[in-house]
Amino acid sequence: MGVFDRLPPMDHLRSEKMCFVQLIIPAESARLAVTYLGELGLLQFKDLNDDKSPFQRIFVNQVKRCAEMSRKLRFFSDQINKAGVKSSVRPAMQPDIDLEELEAKLGEHEHDLLEMNTNSEKLLQTYNELLEFKLVLSKAGGILASSHNHAAPAERELDENIFDKEMDDGNAYLLEQGIHLGVSENSGVKFVSGIILKSKAMAFERMLFRATRGNMFFNQAPAGEPVTGPISGEEVEKTVFVVFFSGDQAKAKILKICDSFGASCYPVPEEMVKQRQIFREVSARLADLEATLDAGIQHRNKALESVGSQLWRWIIMVKKEKAVYDTLNMLNFDVTKKCLVGEGWCPIFAKSQIKDVLQRATLHSNSQVGIIFHEMDTIDSPPTYFRTDKFTNAFQEIVDAYGIARYEEANPAVYSVITFPFLFAVMFGDWGHGICLLLGACVLILREKKLSSQKLGSFMEMAFGGRYVILLMALFSIYCGLIYNEFFSVPFHIFGKSAYECREKTCSDAHTAGLIKVRDAYPFGVDPSWRGSRSELPFLNSLKMKMSILMGVTQMNLGIVLSYFDAKFHGNALDIRYQFIPQMIFLNSLFGYLALLILIKWCTGSQADLYHVMIYMFLDPAGDLGENQLFWGQKELQILLLLMAIVAVPWMLFPKPFILKKLHKERFQGHTYRFLGTSEMDPDSEPDSARSRHDDFNFTEVFVHQMIHSIEFVLGAVSNTASYLRLWALSLAHSELSTVFYEKLLLLAWGYDSFVVKLVGLLVFAFATAFILLMMESLSAFLHALRLHWVEFMNKFYHGDGYKFKPFSFALLADDED
Amino acid sequence: MGFWVTTLIFLLAGVVGSLFSLLCCNRGPSTNLFHLTLVITATVCCWMMWAIVYLAQLKPLINPILSGE
Repeated sequence: MGVFDRLPPMDHLRSEKMCFVQLIIPAESARLAVTYLGELGLLQFKDLNDDKSPFQRIFVNQVKRCAEMSRKLRFFSDQINKAGVKSSVRPAMQPDIDLEELEAKLGEHEHDLLEMNTNSEKLLQTYNELLEFKLVLSKAGGILASSHNHAAPAERELDENIFDKEMDDGNAYLLEQGIHLGVSENSGVKFVSGIILKSKAMAFERMLFRATRGNMFFNQAPAGEPVTGPISGEEVEKTVFVVFFSGDQAKAKILKICDSFGASCYPVPEEMVKQRQIFREVSARLADLEATLDAGIQHRNKALESVGSQLWRWIIMVKKEKAVYDTLNMLNFDVTKKCLVGEGWCPIFAKSQIKDVLQRATLHSNSQVGIIFHEMDTIDSPPTYFRTDKFTNAFQEIVDAYGIARYEEANPAVYSVITFPFLFAVMFGDWGHGICLLLGACVLILREKKLSSQKLGSFMEMAFGGRYVILLMALFSIYCGLIYNEFFSVPFHIFGKSAYECREKTCSDAHTAGLIKVRDAYPFGVDPSWRGSRSELPFLNSLKMKMSILMGVTQMNLGIVLSYFDAKFHGNALDIRYQFIPQMIFLNSLFGYLALLILIKWCTGSQADLYHVMIYMFLDPAGDLGENQLFWGQKELQILLLLMAIVAVPWMLFPKPFILKKLHKERFQGHTYRFLGTSEMDPDSEPDSARSRHDDFNFTEVFVHQMIHSIEFVLGAVSNTASYLRLWALSLAHSELSTVFYEKLLLLAWGYDSFVVKLVGLLVFAFATAFILLMMESLSAFLHALRLHWVEFMNKFYHGDGYKFKPFSFALLADDED
Repeated sequence: MGFWVTTLIFLLAGVVGSLFSLLCCNRGPSTNLFHLTLVITATVCCWMMWAIVYLAQLKPLINPILSGE
């Protein structure tokens, strides 16, 4: 054990040492100091104004201004997106703008943009109305013309000529008068023309019919082109209608109904000449409006472009300022109101960097007084901080998802980096699939730089974040695949000849009695003769089940050993003597013994039934073992181990609470008075939690806690060992699925002569492999390996009740927003 | 190739791996220790996997019976 003491502390094993610091900053350098600290990103501020609402804090006005500015910036980015303007992000050649200037600029731009928008809206509305009018004119004109259908065919011809061809207006007008004289017998007939949504036309007609008691004639024609509704912005199908009626009451009713159905009525003159005239006027106005609208859009787009090129910079600037003011709000003004006092956590290695940064801030703000930065004592437990790089980050996040490590607790990620991909591979073992995973991981890693700056979808982002995990999983999968001897479920003879051969040359009994072992065991991995044989499953099941138990016992022992190192680090001899030792004894005397039996059975080739041995070790320890005897003295050893296990249970249950009670009494003997607050105690720290610890020892609570812990361990020893059998289950499932796809898809399709069938078979095999085996099985094996780590491994030593170190950092801000 | 010979090969591979990591990624004693832990864990895991499968086939209790008629 002395060896371990002389080694340097290992990276990532325990969280960085933190210290609680206090900053006293003069008011004029406060903003700059906090800005520089944000750039450094190594100090976590404690919120000293927790109890105040956001409106009672010091810098509430500045925060409001920043919020207002970010609202304006969001408005701009919305407008830019809607207009579809793509602005090039020019490099930051422009000088840094002051915040007040930025505010003024933003206000100006917003005002301009809003004005432009209202103007365009008005113009657009007018444009749409005119467009509708034009449609009504053209279609209603047609309807009106056809309604004069009792005119002579010659006159109709004349009508058509008038309407379709360019003719002298004067002549046409006289002719028309003539025609109309013939029709104006029913001079009381009036009409209303308009345009309505196609979907409402039927109901409209019925309503009109009912309202006018049938005394109306409804004629409609589809508008032909979709129109942008003047109220909504969408394109809808509309119908032009003309309602003929008589009487004024009817007119009022009809107009009201038009209103309620949202139909727009446009006056269409009866005379065709006038229609044409108005048609021409409307067309001319439409052309004008189009030109104006286009010009307006161009102008707006130019304005948006100029805003857009700087938008990203401004957004970041405003975000940073808001963050700085939020942080400043966490500080307190001191008595003289001239300084701000702040407290926080920082890693010990960063202290000199922070001092430098603060000095720079003092210099740049031309302050006369320097910033005071000193360490303080506190009772709060420090946050947990691991300095991870891009490789260890993913593994640390996997562990953190279960629970953030307590301050200076052993970090399981150190071992998880290897054991997690390894257990995945045990369940996924196939070197063909491993190569596919490796290709995927390599693609992600080689395009690291490009992908890290892009915005990826949520699935791709997870895959990209875990690219090193996938790489290790792939490498171990290839290794385990070579051991299981499966390449898309096909075995190979890579490592020499198989150990099994037929009994005689003719192989007559190969299907009944089987092959015999003629050579030494296959040197690396599972013998290829097993694949496809009838006794493959019994053999492999036995092998994989025993493998799972062996791996499980090893990993659980590693967990308990880590708890020993934790206890040693914290100087907790009590935990070592009354928790580590009985736990080791219990686990190893039962399941370590089982592992030993497995190894002996393999090495000696005995036919002993291990189930029987283990069960009767408990049921009938003194009974004779008979043919299940694996080694001399087994019965005596079993009785001894059973006794040791039975002794270990009260050993881990009883002594610790009693000794803790005794220690507590010794420590606080006679301390019936509470400590007064001395002048050296910092007014900002909280003495309450210290006071509450004195009389807090509740024996019942401690005893129950210890009992729960012990019961959990004892029962968990059985259930956790059995839980490792999932390694067997999943690897069997993977192997069977792989075999099925290979034999029933590929081989079947390959048996046919047709090329098309072969191609189809290959494609289906590829899709099935990619989606079911590579994706689903990967996720499944990932999940189960994760569970084995989180529950079976980590509950032996991990507490996981710490909190993460969240420094005030501009880099983290950008991540947060996304 | 015997059990012990291959175990020795794994051991040597582990030593070579450790030396390699020390030589090429030398970044201070605590980081070196971390890399060493990773290499040793990987070696132990791989060796255990191989050893389990090898030992299970040393003196098997059943033999392959080919399927088919």
